[in-house]
Amino acid sequence: MSVVNDSQAVGTKDGTGEFEPTILAFACHWCTYSGADLAGLNRMNYPANVRLLRVPCSGRVNPQYVISAFNKGCDGVLVCGCHPGDCHYVSGNYFAKRRLMAFKRLLEYSGMEPGRFQVRWISGSEAGKFRDTVIQVCADIKNLGPLQDREADALASISVADLQKGAEAAGASASSESAVAQAATANGNAEKAGE
Amino acid sequence: MSDIQTTLRTRAAELLSSGEVVEVIGWTAGRFDNQTTPAFITKAEDAESLVFNEYCVNTTSKFSLMERGLGKVAVCVRGCDSRGINRMITDNQLKREEVHLIGIPCTGMKDRKTGEELLKCRECSYRNPVVYDELIGESVTEPELNRFDAVEKLEAMDQAERAAFFDSVYERCIRCYACREVCPVCTCKSCFVDQLAAGWQGKRSNVAENKFYGLTRVFHVGDRCVECGECQRACPMDLPLMLLNRKMIKDLDLLFEAGEAGLDAEGTNPLGTYDVNDVEEFM
Repeated sequence: MSVVNDSQAVGTKDGTGEFEPTILAFACHWCTYSGADLAGLNRMNYPANVRLLRVPCSGRVNPQYVISAFNKGCDGVLVCGCHPGDCHYVSGNYFAKRRLMAFKRLLEYSGMEPGRFQVRWISGSEAGKFRDTVIQVCADIKNLGPLQDREADALASISVADLQKGAEAAGASASSESAVAQAATANGNAEKAGE
Repeated sequence: MSDIQTTLRTRAAELLSSGEVVEVIGWTAGRFDNQTTPAFITKAEDAESLVFNEYCVNTTSKFSLMERGLGKVAVCVRGCDSRGINRMITDNQLKREEVHLIGIPCTGMKDRKTGEELLKCRECSYRNPVVYDELIGESVTEPELNRFDAVEKLEAMDQAERAAFFDSVYERCIRCYACREVCPVCTCKSCFVDQLAAGWQGKRSNVAENKFYGLTRVFHVGDRCVECGECQRACPMDLPLMLLNRKMIKDLDLLFEAGEAGLDAEGTNPLGTYDVNDVEEFM
């Protein structure tokens, strides 16, 4: 399953138009998700590039989810949770902090650009901070551009359904090729006619 | 070396015939020249087949888990093996009273094919066993070295170079999971790569999937890694796996003063615990 919607993926791969990144944001149910809700209630504007994924706690975010997100076509991943000390489960975000600090370094060491993976603490009342964070992260990822080996990675996560879709697309392009061929012959004929 | 081997054979025979242990885990001659293979000796008369030379490349610690429940088992331990045993005790995989540790100071093992000292031994800073019940042979001096040298070099490279480097590493990975099998701290009964229904690990062999496995492996073992270097030694594709493990060890030590794993049986659990005064960088 790809988290990227197809039309968008095609748009970015072609390089047609401005690059619109896909950002996955893990939002803790008790703080950040409420913060995002409040931002919505207050009609705050923030880029639509971010997809919110609600998790019970930032401590629930397995680093594997982050690698998976990158493999499945996200250009950036944001993990948000309660401020340290405010965790609904007392200590979840303290564990998350240690884990993600180490993981961020490992990810960047293994070749990921700094900034693609970010972590922020946003409380339920910080709607403004949520908006500002999303705007800033989105700008960061736009500057970085699409993830380098996106095509290879997107291929890795392709499902059977995607493959069938791919076959259809290939059929479509084949017909367009034949259209080009027809045009070429038509041109050839025109040239011949010119002679 | 031959003194150690003679004493080892005598002691193994004594331990087995007295009934103190039911098995001795060590090494025996392999099929080829300059090759040894792990040995599991259960009869005193077989103790003569035990071998200790500069080609005993396998670490023994993981094998002690296989033999649990048989009774007390004697394990030959060098620095790397003993740290593995300690860490397994910390992780509640093994009890100290289940093993009798025959300590052997080590001067480094050699590659069978090239005759050169193994990389894991060149980077080793614990040649003497850190825990043992009896010591065979004279203690050796510990070498002075910076084991993070290669990691620091990689850190100094720019991001694109590092990305290319690790992509080339994961391009070669064949996901045989040998690194998992030999690792003394990879002790999960059910590994995420085997949980096919859950689908953690994809089946394709490509950089993305290999990296997914590789980074997860490092993250799972990084905070407990005893730096025996056995993953790197066992890798059939010669991937520099310790470069990743050591990065985790270095960072955890820098950030949370994690120290080195396996030096004692109490041990620390840097990623399984927290401190409210931890350094804050996310805000």
